[in-house]
Amino acid sequence: MAKEIIDGQTMTRALTRITYEIIERNKGIDDLVLVGIKTRGVFVAHRIESRLKQLENISIPVAELDITPYRDDMTHEEIENINIPPLDIDIDKKHIILTDDVLYTGRTIRAAMDALMKFGRPKKISLAVLVDRGHRELPIRADFVGKNIPTSQKEKIRVSMKEIDGEDKIEIE
Amino acid sequence: MKRYLILEDGTVFPGVGFGSSIITTGQLVVSNNRTGIEQSVTDPDSEGQIIAFTVPAIGLSGINRDFYESINSQCKGVVIGSSSSATVDGSIPFGDWIETLGIPGIKNVDVRALSKHISEHGEMKASIMDTHDEHAIDQIKALVLPPDLVKRVSTKQSYPNPNMGLKMVVVDLGLKYSILRQLSYRDCNSVIVNYNASPEEIESLHPDGIIYSNGPGDPTDLPNTIENIKVLQKKYPILGIGLGNLLIALANDCKIEPLDQPHHESSLAVKEVASGKIDFVNHNHSYTIDPKYISASDFIVTNICVADGSIEGMRHEYLPIMCVLFEPEAAPGPTDGYYVFDEFIDLIGSTKNQYGGVDRWQ
Repeated sequence: MAKEIIDGQTMTRALTRITYEIIERNKGIDDLVLVGIKTRGVFVAHRIESRLKQLENISIPVAELDITPYRDDMTHEEIENINIPPLDIDIDKKHIILTDDVLYTGRTIRAAMDALMKFGRPKKISLAVLVDRGHRELPIRADFVGKNIPTSQKEKIRVSMKEIDGEDKIEIE
Repeated sequence: MKRYLILEDGTVFPGVGFGSSIITTGQLVVSNNRTGIEQSVTDPDSEGQIIAFTVPAIGLSGINRDFYESINSQCKGVVIGSSSSATVDGSIPFGDWIETLGIPGIKNVDVRALSKHISEHGEMKASIMDTHDEHAIDQIKALVLPPDLVKRVSTKQSYPNPNMGLKMVVVDLGLKYSILRQLSYRDCNSVIVNYNASPEEIESLHPDGIIYSNGPGDPTDLPNTIENIKVLQKKYPILGIGLGNLLIALANDCKIEPLDQPHHESSLAVKEVASGKIDFVNHNHSYTIDPKYISASDFIVTNICVADGSIEGMRHEYLPIMCVLFEPEAAPGPTDGYYVFDEFIDLIGSTKNQYGGVDRWQ
């Protein structure tokens, strides 16, 4: 049975805190670029962008990254030949903040970083996630975490966001 | 017994005395609080103030004696429309309660006319007296309100509020007990110190974070505390509440200014700039931060008052300093602001986790 562990208000607060932390750790946010991993990572990116705009009055570019072509069941050769749609913004010498809803094995993030490297040469890549549920299979960690939720591998974390699911909440089942 | 509320500008409001029968003088403050009268009266912010409650009838259901915000400090007088001598549950009536505290009160005053007068002419000194001749008015005009309000309400001796969590040093500028209640709720192991405690004294307590509390009076009367903040803010996460926020602003070259319409209301809307979220929170302050200086400083505005657009909260761009001008501990008022304490604990956490080994403080 699904159990709600984070409600809308807590999610709002977590995103606001991540925004403050992004400002605190970057003197000047001029060279920032937000890249959201489809689907919910994009909404996370847009929400951070709107907060930065309210606070600092600067519009940060937001790009969408679709890494669904990278699947775990692909052969090495297939992965080499993947074509994913390019980003519509320049990321050379930019500080990219990659956003996603849940950080789990780290494979999605690795795929996203591979893709980004194909498109340009960013100065730095940071990672912001709503939930870190542990169980990493790659040496990856998030710079900005909304909430650390210790889980067992049998459990499922389900993130709902207003833009697509009608309400903000995080459930565990 | 007929008594008079006399204002500095010579305006006289007749009424009926209740509570203690002493003559009192102080800064007249108009409060829109509907409930939580007990908390307003015992709030150290009210030191040296005569509080006029604009609600036509207050304290009708009696007094909850567990609602106190300090033991030793209280306001100088209360002005009300009417109250009741009977209570719903047999608790003591408002009038009897303030008599035990030794506070004089005056009732049957036209509080709406008074409130209008103050909003047109600004906050002023006032007195509750038995006569209203010219001599009395001259006396009020000549009266100089003491500038050492914080000194009078701040604890002389450090004391602990033991728990098992984060170590907080709370600098008592006129601390409301509800701040300690909120810290206890979050397991914070706190030590409360005098407003003039030196940076060395605070450092020797090895805090995880420092809280500058709310308090009464004009922040420019506290140059020592401002100098201490300049030292400590380079070493520890800091939360400023109310007067604490104003002192932090002054320590960082921001200027403060008196509000046209002072905020004394238990439920006034504040917007969180980042998310647009509206919170209803308790306000009790007559000063605000001049927005002209914020853009030149390293602070960003995090909260604004919806009613007049004044700054209600700010945060440093790279040091772990956050402030709110409203009172997040509520008491009285709605509890929307409690999240400020959670946010401060998160700020301490992120300072510790992410900057272990990195020189955040330059």
